[in-house]
Amino acid sequence: MSTDVLIDLLQIIMLTLTTVVVMLVAGFKREHGLVNVLTTAGLAASLLVFVFVDPVLPLQATELLYFDEYSLFFSALITLGALSVSILAYPYFESHNSHNEEFYILLMTATLGAVVLACSTHFVSFFIGMEMLGVSLYAMIAYPVHAEKSAKFPLEAALKYLIMSGLTSGLMLFGIALIYALTGTMFFNEISPAIEAQDLASSPVIIAAWLMIISAVAFKLSLVPFHIWTPDVYEGAPVPVTAYLATVSKAAMLAVTLRLLLISDAFQYEALMLVLTVMAAASMLLGNLLALLQSNVKRLMAYSSIAHLGYLLIVIIAAASIPGILSVESMGFYVAAYFIMSLGGFAVISAISNSGKELDMISDYQGLFWRNPWLASVMITVLFSLAGIPLTAGFMGKFYVFTNGLQGSLWFLLTMLIIGSAIGLYYYLRIIYAILQQPGKISKQDPAMQAIPFGTHAVLGSMTAIIIYLGVYPMPMINILQSLAAAF
Amino acid sequence: MIDLLWLVPTIPVIGFLILTFSCGKLPEIPAGIIGAGSIGLSFLFAILAGVDFMSMSEAGIHSYSQTLWTWISVGSFEAGFTLYLDGVSLVMMFIITGIGFLIHVYATGYMHDDPSFARFFAYMNLFVAAMLILVLADNLLLLFMGWEGVGLCSYLLIGFWFKDPYNGYCARKAFVVTRVGDASMALGLFLLFASLGTLNIQELMVLAEEEWVVGSGIAIAVTLLLLGGAVGKSAQLPLQTWLPDAMAGPTPISALIHAATMVTAGVYLIARTHVLYELAPSVQYLVGVIGMITLIMAGFTALVQNDIKKVLAFSTVSQIGYMFLALGVGAYSSAIFHLMTHAFFKALLFLTAGSIILAMHHEQDIFKMGGLRKDLPWSHALFLIGTIALVAIFPTAGYWSKEEILASALTNEHGGYLLWLGGVAGAFMTGLYSFRLYFLVFFGKKTHDGHEVMGLHLQGPLVALAILSLIGGFIHIPVEEVFHAHAEEHHVSLFYQAIMIGLPLLGVLCAYLIFIKQKLDVEKLAGSGFGAKMHRFFFTQWGMDWLYDRVFVFPYVGLAKLNKKDFIDSIYNGTASFTRYLHSVVIETQTGQIRWYTMTMALGVLLVISIGVFA
Repeated sequence: MSTDVLIDLLQIIMLTLTTVVVMLVAGFKREHGLVNVLTTAGLAASLLVFVFVDPVLPLQATELLYFDEYSLFFSALITLGALSVSILAYPYFESHNSHNEEFYILLMTATLGAVVLACSTHFVSFFIGMEMLGVSLYAMIAYPVHAEKSAKFPLEAALKYLIMSGLTSGLMLFGIALIYALTGTMFFNEISPAIEAQDLASSPVIIAAWLMIISAVAFKLSLVPFHIWTPDVYEGAPVPVTAYLATVSKAAMLAVTLRLLLISDAFQYEALMLVLTVMAAASMLLGNLLALLQSNVKRLMAYSSIAHLGYLLIVIIAAASIPGILSVESMGFYVAAYFIMSLGGFAVISAISNSGKELDMISDYQGLFWRNPWLASVMITVLFSLAGIPLTAGFMGKFYVFTNGLQGSLWFLLTMLIIGSAIGLYYYLRIIYAILQQPGKISKQDPAMQAIPFGTHAVLGSMTAIIIYLGVYPMPMINILQSLAAAF
Repeated sequence: MIDLLWLVPTIPVIGFLILTFSCGKLPEIPAGIIGAGSIGLSFLFAILAGVDFMSMSEAGIHSYSQTLWTWISVGSFEAGFTLYLDGVSLVMMFIITGIGFLIHVYATGYMHDDPSFARFFAYMNLFVAAMLILVLADNLLLLFMGWEGVGLCSYLLIGFWFKDPYNGYCARKAFVVTRVGDASMALGLFLLFASLGTLNIQELMVLAEEEWVVGSGIAIAVTLLLLGGAVGKSAQLPLQTWLPDAMAGPTPISALIHAATMVTAGVYLIARTHVLYELAPSVQYLVGVIGMITLIMAGFTALVQNDIKKVLAFSTVSQIGYMFLALGVGAYSSAIFHLMTHAFFKALLFLTAGSIILAMHHEQDIFKMGGLRKDLPWSHALFLIGTIALVAIFPTAGYWSKEEILASALTNEHGGYLLWLGGVAGAFMTGLYSFRLYFLVFFGKKTHDGHEVMGLHLQGPLVALAILSLIGGFIHIPVEEVFHAHAEEHHVSLFYQAIMIGLPLLGVLCAYLIFIKQKLDVEKLAGSGFGAKMHRFFFTQWGMDWLYDRVFVFPYVGLAKLNKKDFIDSIYNGTASFTRYLHSVVIETQTGQIRWYTMTMALGVLLVISIGVFA
């Protein structure tokens, strides 16, 4: 193994090391603060490692992992998300009168899985990464199950996620097995030549295999008709875990999916494109309709994520007919923007919640502006961004989606995008309306009036700053994305 | 220092931002210091810029422009955030910041103990900033932004004590009526842009002179539309009805916005675009006629009012009528000159009236005052100075400017005996109603005790304004270069001179005979059948409000009532309820039951694969 490979693997090594250290420390001494600091520091260190990794790219490190700027970008995003979640988790679980230390081990293994996904160009690493992420998430969702008083119904959520996830893993494996049986390879880039060589492109088995893989991916991304678990799991999980689920797990899955579809030339299958189009349209419409009168903010975020993934799917579908560079650039931007705004939104929910009581009904946010203007401003910025109002990152993202749709002449999907966005505006504004209303009585015990720890402030502040920065001056980000997209 | 010109409008904006974001938590003293101090600083920078400008002027450069940034750039159209300083905007800038500063200082005393002290100064600062943008703008779009900004502030400040619904009504009335004028002005701007392809004022003047024929249709249309904006803002016929109601605001507002600065914006606009008006002589004559009729009508109305501020309000309408008269006869520099002197003495009168109102515990009815000269010696002296300046008694500031206007009305080619006679008659009316007010307040039988409210921040600005009212006529305003052709001296024969000096004095004498010597029983006259009718007619602004209610307001309200259930709304409401219905359908799928969830998964896979394989 050459030094370059070792350097490339440095981030994964850093994450693994942190996992082991955290495990050992937690084994010897239960100390929530210490474990949290170690985890946070480990994640921050693996972010810093990217500086060393960058010069030696791109490189195949072992058969399973491929490092290039693309994987680096998504790994960075994932690590940033995990870092934020780790910071948010401390005050949340501090009120939890049970053992909290193992949560961070799970957080680390999940992150490891997510990074593996982002670097994967092989079905084995795809599956391993997915399962590492998934299995850790089951436990993370159910984590407060032993607490005397838990905020939600974590066990129910975890069980639902587990059972349905199990179903999709089977589906995924079946699809991979079929492709392997016909082509004899598991490398993404070897699939297309093998299929061409054997003239299998119109074989129903290949198409069925692809559709099974896409269905599994669609489950993880909660696209219609595999979306049904999303609100229940989002609601039942503790807020930091919901934040993780909504950002890290989705970004990792998107990273590997776009790479898979682009380099295995899956866009040639019209059936696949048709299925994706149906999924995109249905997700945009149903996601927004489901969110319309929702009174729980976490469920609302779940429905909104269905719609947003539907928007994103437009980029993937357009990739069939426009240059790959633009697709990767657009998707990178949208994912980053969605990532940041979701984190910001959940950070606000997390800031006024704890493991004993979560404030996630819209009515809890009534008059937030008058009780805590800072939190309210962050939330309003996030909601504006989610709704795609100009001068926010969300607007730039939506603009990209629109450009892609126009260039790909996807008129039907663009119509759905416009209808969906219009409906979306309604429920985002509903929350803003509640936030700006005059509050009833303000009590000293009001959670929104309590002191917020510095770390949470930092997360809130940086997410808001990034949302506005990307909306006002997106050029630096676009330059980064264009350079990493050049590989496609 | 002239390159610091941008600070002049910026500092009030900063003051506004600080005061606004203090969310009313700022105590009175710092709020007052920020509010008045920002205008003071702004005045200081205005002086520095002015000194530089004057030395530039001596060197032969008569204008200065400073581009801060490009505001809008669409196709060939570009509007910069560009400030333009020449003689006229310099004078306006000094009036706004200087008089504005004095009024701000006064207001720190007047608004003492008001619960919304900081809000008051926030609005005031915003107003000053908007007004400065209006006069410093180098293109009409930016000017329009300032124009609308001052309109907004005027609305906010008239309705400052919004807890009384009547004040809200007055604010709304002012806003809506001036909006009629603003719509006309906006149309004028569109037409100008469509015809000449730019909105830069200096370019427009050059282009218009090159491309338009004197008296052509386009020149008439544009100037008429701009005139619509000007009469709205400056409360001239037929849009003058809002100004008296605007007196519902705190008195410093009446002094700053509704006497010294904002209401003169129309005069400024016409002076600024005077080249266009010269291309449409008929419209220019109309400006003069509007001014003349307004000044006489307002004079009659002022004569019968019983609210001290309303008398002053109608007097303002009347004095702006003089400025319009001057514009109409092409005496632009006289109009700007009168604008300045009027700002001095009318601000003085309003602020002194404010002191009187404070002393009388917010009593504004002049018939409940009377005999106050002993109780309120300060106010008495200051009010007298303001009044003689208003009446234009030699050699106060008002005399010089009004004399110039009347002389131009007589000698200028656009003028004539008609306009002159109107102006002179107005001068008589001014003497009569001003001294009626003065005598009724300070002489006669004492009915209520007054108690002078003293303080440096109250009397200081008043004394400064009083001095300006007395000697302000000797200030030379450097506007020759802007209105180059129109700076010649007027020579009128001694006969006319005597009339112009004498008639105001005659008005004063009449007022003396009627209200002090009681030679004429006013009450009896007002009580008689015809007299009562006339009194009522004058008192209600010649029935204008009544007429407008019948012609515009009632039919409009009727129409609105007819279409209460707007049928177009039902399209939107229908869309909304349809969406809600769809939501109620799809939300049924979220049962929370895992058996149903897994089934949807299985069905989904089946669906996906069958689409793929069979399609």
